[in-house]
Amino acid sequence: METAREVYIAGVAMTDIGWHEEDPHEMGARVCAEAMRDAGLLPSQVEGLISTPHGYMADTRKMVTQRMADYLGMECGLMLDVDSGGNSTSVAVHVARDRIREGRIGSCLVFAAQREAPPNRIKEDILGHFHLIKAANSLYDSYQAAFGVISPLPFYAMAVQRYMHIHSVSPEDIAYVAVLLREHALKHPQAAYREPLTLEEVMESSYVSPPIRRLECSEMHDGAAAVLLVGEELARGSPRAVRIAGMAEAHDPTSFVPYRGEISRFPCVGRAARAALEESGHALGDVDVAEVYGAFAGMEPMMYEELGFFAPGEAPSAVREGRTTHGGEVLINPSGGRLSLGHPAYVTPLLEFTEVVRQLRGEAGERQRPSARVGLVHTEQGFINGSIVAVLERKGA
Amino acid sequence: MQDKAAEEFFALLARGEFRTTRCRGCGETHYPPRVVCPACLGEDMEWVDLPREGTLVAFTQQRDAMRCRRPEVLGLVELEGIGNVFTRIDAPLEDLRIGTRVAFDTWTSPDGVVLHQFRPRS
Ligand SMILES: [Zn+2]
Repeated sequence: METAREVYIAGVAMTDIGWHEEDPHEMGARVCAEAMRDAGLLPSQVEGLISTPHGYMADTRKMVTQRMADYLGMECGLMLDVDSGGNSTSVAVHVARDRIREGRIGSCLVFAAQREAPPNRIKEDILGHFHLIKAANSLYDSYQAAFGVISPLPFYAMAVQRYMHIHSVSPEDIAYVAVLLREHALKHPQAAYREPLTLEEVMESSYVSPPIRRLECSEMHDGAAAVLLVGEELARGSPRAVRIAGMAEAHDPTSFVPYRGEISRFPCVGRAARAALEESGHALGDVDVAEVYGAFAGMEPMMYEELGFFAPGEAPSAVREGRTTHGGEVLINPSGGRLSLGHPAYVTPLLEFTEVVRQLRGEAGERQRPSARVGLVHTEQGFINGSIVAVLERKGA
Repeated sequence: MQDKAAEEFFALLARGEFRTTRCRGCGETHYPPRVVCPACLGEDMEWVDLPREGTLVAFTQQRDAMRCRRPEVLGLVELEGIGNVFTRIDAPLEDLRIGTRVAFDTWTSPDGVVLHQFRPRS
């Protein structure tokens, strides 16, 4: 059997994260172009294109990918519109990588452009947006949806409650995670939140679903990002290309809140992490920088633990001791994470890849981890019902 | 639009019955109810009673939601041998503790749908 080809990320691009008025197709075209310029490639050299819907609370268009191929003049050997919730663009990177490894295509561009109906506009005109609210409710099965759930917030609240209960974690420990992520975002010129945040402000913010407070939530945002994957031939001569050294996907047989077992544990995360690390030949201790998908402050330490960075219950004190920030043993979510970089969910995995690639290239500016060599990206879908982990490596590392 | 098993589940609930499906082929009881048995892949189901008492696993309060017109306490109740049921909880949030024994009842939502709720046993 032929040995699999190596796959690299040669180009990354993202817009500022926030609320955008721009048409998602044009926002997408701009990040696609920027990622190709970043890699030094032209549309004629790109052989695959994958994208996602334009949002959750949005009147999304179908088949956005072929429209972009037409717009940018790409003759593709792979074209795919993915909808796997928060994992969508990371599933896309995973599929693209496999196709390149098999030698079927030499390159693939993954992009997402999200433009949501802003919450204030929904509140002003509930009836006009009722179809979107109903669509949000229909994500859940009949036995969860019947109680009017329109976001996974109550499920996350119950998981955080159990985690805090089992490990005697204080509300301040959870609130501090939000404070630290904001500190990270202050060094990111494209982050949605660029104002300092204090522990008092988080603790005084109202409960949206106890024990989760308003400033412990990620918000839905708009934005776009693109990641360009290439095989060895196109990566040759490009010292800025970052190798995908390992990547794995794992799912639990659950959809949103599990009907069996402990709801504050997420076994798929560890399975994906272990498999990706094994393939990469790296140990978790080699990871210099990680982007982790935590949609709520309380979910962050749980994810750090499920990934294996800390023993169960130990992440909150590790965060407070500075072990996950600049100068610590591993820099987690230097972008500001979902809470402070902002969270256009379909785009989020590409924002995570972009941050880790910039870190490994040494192009992360003020938030650079000195001589970062190995990076990790973790993404999830639903209520962490499934996870994807990728281990990235600086060229020549 | 609701699936057939859910339609039956909520129709039974409207009559005060709290039931789920059991596979006639292999005897496996499922929650939520279903038309296909994941254990033996059989399709021959019967409806059986669910326990009317359980243990509160977790709880929270939902602020914005369809159907509920004021903040509703929601929770997860573990029914022994069955699993977790996501449900309304009929008690103030501050009175609740993880591990509390709770008992089944029905609740009619403001839009007239009969759902289940649990409340701490007195
Ligand atoms: Zn069966």
